[in-house]
Amino acid sequence: MATAQATPARPVTTGARRGPLAALRDRPATAKLLLLALVAAVVVPLVHGRWGGGIWPEALTADLSAPLGDVTDWIVSNRDSHPLFLYFFGHISNAVVLSVRGVYLVLLGLGWAGVTVFAAAVAWRVAGIRLALTAGVSFLLCGLLGMWVPTMQTLALMVVAVLASVVLGLLLGLAAGLSDRVFRILRPVLDTMQVLPAFAYLLPVVLVFGIGVPGAVLATVVYAAPPMARLTALGLRGADSGVMEAVTSLGATGRQRLLSARLPLARKELLLGLNQTIMMALSMAVIASVIGAGGLGDRVYQALSSVDVGAALAAGIPIVLLAVVLDRTTEAAGRRIGAEPTGPALLRGWRGWSLAAAVTAAVAVAGRAADGQVWPDGLTVAIAGPVNTAKDWMVDHLYTGVPVVGGTADLASHFTSGVLNPLRSGLTGLPWWSVLLIVAALAWTIGTWRTAATAVLAMAAIGVLGVWEPSMDTLSQVLAAVAVTLVIGFGVAVGAARSERLERLLRPVLDVFQTMPQFVYLIPVVALFGVGRAPAAAAAVVYALPAVIRITTQGLRGVDPAAMECARSLGATPGQQLRQVQIPLARPSLLLAVNQAVVLVLAVVIIGGLVGSGALGYEVVLGLAQGDLATGLVAGAAIVCLGLMLDRVTQPTTRRQRQES
Amino acid sequence: MTGTETLKATEPTGSTGADENPVFAVRNLWKVFGPKADRIPGSEHASLPPAELREATGCTAAVRDVSFDVRKGEVFVVMGLSGSGKSTLVRCLTRLIEPTSGTLAIDGEDVLAMDRARLRELRRHRAAMVFQHFGLLPHRSVLDNVAYGLEIQGLSKAERRAKAAELVAKVGLAGLEDRRPSQLSGGQQQRVGLARALAVDPSVLLFDEPFSALDPLIRREMQDEVVRLHREEGRTMVFITHDLSEALRLGTRIALMRDGGIVQLGTPEEIVGSPADDYVREFVRDVPREQVLTVATAMRPALAGESERGPAVRPDATVSEAIEAVSRSGDPVARVMDGGRLVGVVDHACLLDVVAGTTASAAPEASGTPHDAPDAPDGSREVTA
Repeated sequence: MATAQATPARPVTTGARRGPLAALRDRPATAKLLLLALVAAVVVPLVHGRWGGGIWPEALTADLSAPLGDVTDWIVSNRDSHPLFLYFFGHISNAVVLSVRGVYLVLLGLGWAGVTVFAAAVAWRVAGIRLALTAGVSFLLCGLLGMWVPTMQTLALMVVAVLASVVLGLLLGLAAGLSDRVFRILRPVLDTMQVLPAFAYLLPVVLVFGIGVPGAVLATVVYAAPPMARLTALGLRGADSGVMEAVTSLGATGRQRLLSARLPLARKELLLGLNQTIMMALSMAVIASVIGAGGLGDRVYQALSSVDVGAALAAGIPIVLLAVVLDRTTEAAGRRIGAEPTGPALLRGWRGWSLAAAVTAAVAVAGRAADGQVWPDGLTVAIAGPVNTAKDWMVDHLYTGVPVVGGTADLASHFTSGVLNPLRSGLTGLPWWSVLLIVAALAWTIGTWRTAATAVLAMAAIGVLGVWEPSMDTLSQVLAAVAVTLVIGFGVAVGAARSERLERLLRPVLDVFQTMPQFVYLIPVVALFGVGRAPAAAAAVVYALPAVIRITTQGLRGVDPAAMECARSLGATPGQQLRQVQIPLARPSLLLAVNQAVVLVLAVVIIGGLVGSGALGYEVVLGLAQGDLATGLVAGAAIVCLGLMLDRVTQPTTRRQRQES
Repeated sequence: MTGTETLKATEPTGSTGADENPVFAVRNLWKVFGPKADRIPGSEHASLPPAELREATGCTAAVRDVSFDVRKGEVFVVMGLSGSGKSTLVRCLTRLIEPTSGTLAIDGEDVLAMDRARLRELRRHRAAMVFQHFGLLPHRSVLDNVAYGLEIQGLSKAERRAKAAELVAKVGLAGLEDRRPSQLSGGQQQRVGLARALAVDPSVLLFDEPFSALDPLIRREMQDEVVRLHREEGRTMVFITHDLSEALRLGTRIALMRDGGIVQLGTPEEIVGSPADDYVREFVRDVPREQVLTVATAMRPALAGESERGPAVRPDATVSEAIEAVSRSGDPVARVMDGGRLVGVVDHACLLDVVAGTTASAAPEASGTPHDAPDAPDGSREVTA
């Protein structure tokens, strides 16, 4: 009764206060923009009068290259003598080198036959016979392409990095899963780390560890551990409270609750975390070739820098194969968990595992007896030559003069001169304060004042660092690529949301595309478009498309069927349904798609520095190549700021679950 | 409050020996959620209605000043609509939710004074709970779920599995031991939950709306299962429900809750026959009264000559049974016989009054001599003088 009386009282009070202010309260976006315009009207004339428009004023920059140069010099000269390096970083570095070396020797010791059978056996135990075949065939293909040794190098680095990431991620995740305070501190850090481009992690690591395997492994760990930590924490926190209560009601101790209920309940998240960690580690292990990781990534890197597409492809295919095998195997393991054990009883549990171990051992011994440690040279297929011939043919026939569409190189140059150049000159031509204002307006309308403040500060930091121009260059590439991604992505997604058939067709394609490391995308675009900014943008589009299509399709499909049915029963046309029901209801997914597009595109545009996209990515590469770490570090910091700004600008108010796969 | 008054009213005349060793003795229990919750009980805010309390203090009193005893061997039903505080109340009993104030004793031992080890002991051996959403561990088989309570007590694998297999069979799930919970129907899952609670052989079983998530037919079946278990073992049960018919079916006594307090506490017959206030009256309005009220409440003293004729019914027979007896015999009245002694008669008018609801709350006063209700596990009907 009391509640019934209280409710009618409320509308009356709000009704009384109705007025212009109330109208603004109903439209918070307008209110925010009005307030911002008010602030701008006061501040802009002052700022403009003092420092002028155009690009970021000299007076407001802080030249960090001198102090940073001092720091790097100090580190370089003290690396072998200072106790901090001798007794801390030195030990880490040695441990990493030793373990990578150890794993590599074990892999070589197993021989190619042993490794292939071992991979197949593990895949068979955790994921079934089909994946065992896939794994076996993939490893044989790696050998066949003449890439056995680099594959083993990459694998050795991966094994060490993934183990370290998983341990680190689990510990952090446990702490954040069990303690609210740790979670509150760790969550924004982990969230932010996940939106930063891989390149940004390289330089600080190089600064401390120098170029080489230890730096590469540590960069990989830093990049790959966050998803494990995040998902562990989320899994532990997301444990069904009903189950936890039931377990408590039976008198379980804290340790029993954790071990017998909370951890097992989170096993899906734990495996998903393992899957993501492995995929990110592979992605980074390949990119880390830039700082001396060796292996497959190095082959691709070397080939790309001499525009040898054939050699790049020969090294790229094993990367894709590794990615597919690792992803599918861990994913299938995740799906299988909790299901009934299948297969003949003889092969279940430890029996199956011991059989797998026995077969591996037998094959490895047999391989050694036959002296088959390294892949036999006679058994390789050199695809580099034919691929390069094909590429030359493409250069001759597809680059220019194709009727109607024009050549690919034409397309690229049109894109550069017609879209990228005007956009870049537009951005650099904008007064710097107006860029800040636009960032603030965007971030504030869809987010909170906190996200807006972070975005503006990040943008201002770029200016202070003195890399305003290259950052605007990078930003123009990102914006152009994001626009293309969104147009294509939304178009395809609307189609896929409507047609079951198209979605079924797309699914396997998207699956494969989403597993491939960013680095690999550079190979085909270089073949098609040559080098420059347009190919980098194209790679970014291709890399970001699958995620955008997937999120948007799911969002459009996930619209409440009752609402759709209601619209149909009122006689709405498909177009009306889309515009008036699906898109408004799927708004959170669409915003998430935009956010993902921005983050993913930025990552690849930065890597594009390797294929001539210039700007921030190139400065990082240059800094690494010339040992000029100060330049590289400043560019790296600018990348972090740019990533932070772009993420915050596209971040919807309510923090949502980031797309997990 | 009304609850305590009703309680005090029933205690002196209640079934003999029932109050010597109550399983749970709850006195003035409060549970307040919100900032500075511990200041609410006993303050001037304590008697405010929920909306005003929230307005004034930002707190919500989920359980307010509740007192009752759960007697050995009875099914004590706590009934109320959602938000009435019944689920919070049952969780307070084993301190799954820490009460804000009041006293609470199990078998005479103060629960609120227990340290963690002692409390674990209580949860492991003395009170086991069955949950609305089952709370089964999805990664374990049925057998291992049932054995879970024994596992955390540290029993060996063979021991706990043997005991669990016994209970799986007892709740009618034999043959499904190796299934996962996700492969079972809702009813079957709740049987697993029931078996898990029974496996630790607790002295009292707590049910938190255990059948609300089930289909009506399955619910009925599960209620029968509980009645059967109770008849066979005589275990004390505290049963939370929002379903009046379930409460009337299972309850030895029912506590009706509203806004955190007990509005009325009594036998199903008392609740239906003499509602304490308009809220309870509204609540029980649609109950078929003739199926709940006994002839003892409907009878009148026998007039001369009426003691010789007519069918004999027991005082605890329901009115609908009496109607059937009267209409079969063709006699105008039925005699209410308690162990060969005539205690009253019911005629057409008495019976029709019950069906029509015109006897109203005067019914208890109309009852004749007090009698000793047997403290039987199922449906002991007691009549207050």
